[in-house]
Amino acid sequence: MATFSLLITANPYSNQGQYSALKFTKAVLEAGHIIKRIFFYADGVLVANRLNCPPADELNLTKSWAKLAIEKDIELTVCVTAALKRGIVNQAEAERNALTSESIDPAFELSGLGQLTEAMLASDRLVTFG
Amino acid sequence: MKSVCFIFNKPPYGQESGKELLDICLMCSAFEMPITVIFQGDGVLQLIENQQPDILNIKNYSKTFKALKLYGVETVLIDAAGLEKHQLVTENILNIGEIANSKIIQNVIQNTDFSIML
Repeated sequence: MATFSLLITANPYSNQGQYSALKFTKAVLEAGHIIKRIFFYADGVLVANRLNCPPADELNLTKSWAKLAIEKDIELTVCVTAALKRGIVNQAEAERNALTSESIDPAFELSGLGQLTEAMLASDRLVTFG
Repeated sequence: MKSVCFIFNKPPYGQESGKELLDICLMCSAFEMPITVIFQGDGVLQLIENQQPDILNIKNYSKTFKALKLYGVETVLIDAAGLEKHQLVTENILNIGEIANSKIIQNVIQNTDFSIML
């Protein structure tokens, strides 16, 4: 049994990285391993936008991550610096920056890059999806 | 403590991955992880001196490479083949590391717990 963390930088929908990461996470868990944390960075943070609205016959990546996180109790952490400049904000950041509303899906949490390093220290493997 | 190596293999500014990778590197240094930084292939272009990305409204992070030592990054390796490909010599690039061949670089990557490339 090994402990994994994921670093996801792939832009959702324009790139296969997020789909692969989702499948990889499921496979890791099915094989009896542990996922310590999934860290979204760079364009990867765009998947945390609760307003993403793909057509009904396409996989909704935001909801897929949220469902997996709730079912398997996985931490979905979003880099706050990368997120803010791409319009992914929680209530506190929305108020601080005088924005009209929050936009982050509640299954995701804004935090700093330190959470990635901390996850690496607690994991046997870090797998990047870009 | 687990060790980590950062592989810069893309040129600067066309995409932000160089700055993004550098930010992870600085965070790992704050956690006092042993760090090796490698510039490989087109990544050696990150090291060209006197860059002026500000005229393109892009932030200049080139100076931060010079501060890597202050952040506790002891080993910086620059791929000899990458320099040759771009016809660069040591006088053209930031003096922050040592030139290494692919065998040395391969050896470092093999002996590091994590390798990150963006």
